[in-house]
Amino acid sequence: MSQYLITQLLNGLIVGSLYILLSMGLTIIFGMLGIVNFAHGALYMLGAYAAYTVVGVLSGNFLIAILVVPLAIGLIGALLETTLLRRLYRVEPFYNLLLTFGLMLVIQDAVRIGYGPEGEPFNIPGALLGAVNLGITYYPKYRLFIFAITVLCSVGLILFLERTKVGAIIRAGTEDSDMVDALGIDIGKVFTFVFGIGAALAGLAGVLAAPIQNVEPAMGMNFLVETFVVVVIGGMGSIIGSIIAGLIIGETLTIGVLIWPPMATTLIYIFMAFILLIRPRGLFGRAEFLD
Amino acid sequence: MIMQALMDKIRETPSRYIISVLIILFILLPFLTPYTALASEMLIFALFAMAYDIVLGYSGMLSFGHAAFFGLGAYGTGIMLVHLKAPLFIAMVVGVTLSFIAAWPVGYLSIRRRGIYFAMVTLAFAQMLYFIAFKWTALTGGDDGLQRIPRPSIGPIAIESELSLYYFILIFVVASMLLGLRIVNSPFGKTLQAMRENENRARSIGFNIFRFKLFAFVISALFSGLAGCFYALLLNYVPLGSMHWATSGEVVMMTIVGGMGTLFGPMLGAIAVVLLRDIIGSYTESWNLIMGILFMAAVLSFRRGILGSLRERLQGS
Repeated sequence: MSQYLITQLLNGLIVGSLYILLSMGLTIIFGMLGIVNFAHGALYMLGAYAAYTVVGVLSGNFLIAILVVPLAIGLIGALLETTLLRRLYRVEPFYNLLLTFGLMLVIQDAVRIGYGPEGEPFNIPGALLGAVNLGITYYPKYRLFIFAITVLCSVGLILFLERTKVGAIIRAGTEDSDMVDALGIDIGKVFTFVFGIGAALAGLAGVLAAPIQNVEPAMGMNFLVETFVVVVIGGMGSIIGSIIAGLIIGETLTIGVLIWPPMATTLIYIFMAFILLIRPRGLFGRAEFLD
Repeated sequence: MIMQALMDKIRETPSRYIISVLIILFILLPFLTPYTALASEMLIFALFAMAYDIVLGYSGMLSFGHAAFFGLGAYGTGIMLVHLKAPLFIAMVVGVTLSFIAAWPVGYLSIRRRGIYFAMVTLAFAQMLYFIAFKWTALTGGDDGLQRIPRPSIGPIAIESELSLYYFILIFVVASMLLGLRIVNSPFGKTLQAMRENENRARSIGFNIFRFKLFAFVISALFSGLAGCFYALLLNYVPLGSMHWATSGEVVMMTIVGGMGTLFGPMLGAIAVVLLRDIIGSYTESWNLIMGILFMAAVLSFRRGILGSLRERLQGS
């Protein structure tokens, strides 16, 4: 039993990792552009399908998928920002939310038409098959790989934002984008870049999730709603909040399954309600984002 | 001030014409559509969209979870009719009450987050209710939906035939329209609009913003629940999809297309969207693709909607 519990706790860590990758992207996009990207789940789903196309259809290497797909999804994101989102920065922010909602419907249905409504098979790549002895229990190699990539991305993103010049511009833009613009920095390019990074992270999460989750058109939106719970709990605009809340939600889901399987998903919403009651801005959120 | 009063005058007058035109349209609608059930569906979604406009158009709150209230109304009514063999009127009261009761905690928690946060939180709570409906198979039928809902008569009024059901619904819809118009033009409705325009100013005058928003949310949920009741009766079953986020998205779209903040515009939007869905549905399964494109087009270049654009033209001349 205790070994089972440990396995479940580790599973929570892995599910949490995917939430972290998605919510970090959502959060930096929101911090910079002030919009909630409803197409984020669709980009995640697109990442999974792109990985399927690279590995399953073109019989490429999984490693290639991990390197190429996030880049491609990032470019798609950047393209969407320059062609569509950009038109609506001057009107109320919820129009952009609705635009991304429409975008999500289009992407989701286009994939359904292209690949069919059923899920696509996706096997764990050969090199990452098997289990590792962690001393306390055996655990699948591939899942540990997901965790490692997530740690790498989280640390990388934090270092990038805190230690580089572009990171400093992004942080400044999150505080006051008009001011950054006035200082002679082309804020439009920064917006495109940030949206691209967020999209790339969603694409990466999609690639990583493909072997362990059902690759189907609806996978994105369901996952996105749970990611919303993560950012509401962690606090919009906070990377640390995303990481911690992502882990909390991952663990809540997997431990919830042990306690009361049918209502495990409900637990996370109850947890969100609790956070909204005691701390509306979220664990690490900033008060001004409440407006 | 005088300018503002004049603008209000211009804005309000058409409502009375529009309501008369709409009622005449609704009376004739079953004879204009290819089949009666389609007219009923238009009517139901028109009511739902009108209810939604109280939240989006008049209070400026983008709720992405209104399908939950629509669905609760439908499930509440359906469960009473199927499992308890309750009389129609009682079943409807239970359905509406269920939406009304659920709206309090959801509104109470969501309104703490303003702006686009509100959309995420309402969506999340709606998803929770969707999951409960999905998993509680014994009560709701789960994925298959709640099947075999009867249409009992109320005393001498039989609503077995599609046409009689249509006019039965119409009575409630017309009453809701009059009530809705009364609400948005009341001091309460005016306060909502003042809050939407400038929340800080409304607060500094001394209005309890939170309470006003919560009331608006609950009233809207109540009408949404009523629309849901009729949906259960119309289809003779409650599809699980009635609670899905896609339904929430559809009502947002109807409201934007019709013209948000005009109360009756969203009803026109609902008629247009339901008609389009019916037409497109007979050719292809890709309704979501079309809806997504329409959504983007509406948001990018038709933000005033049908009635909003119409009014602007009237005011311009």
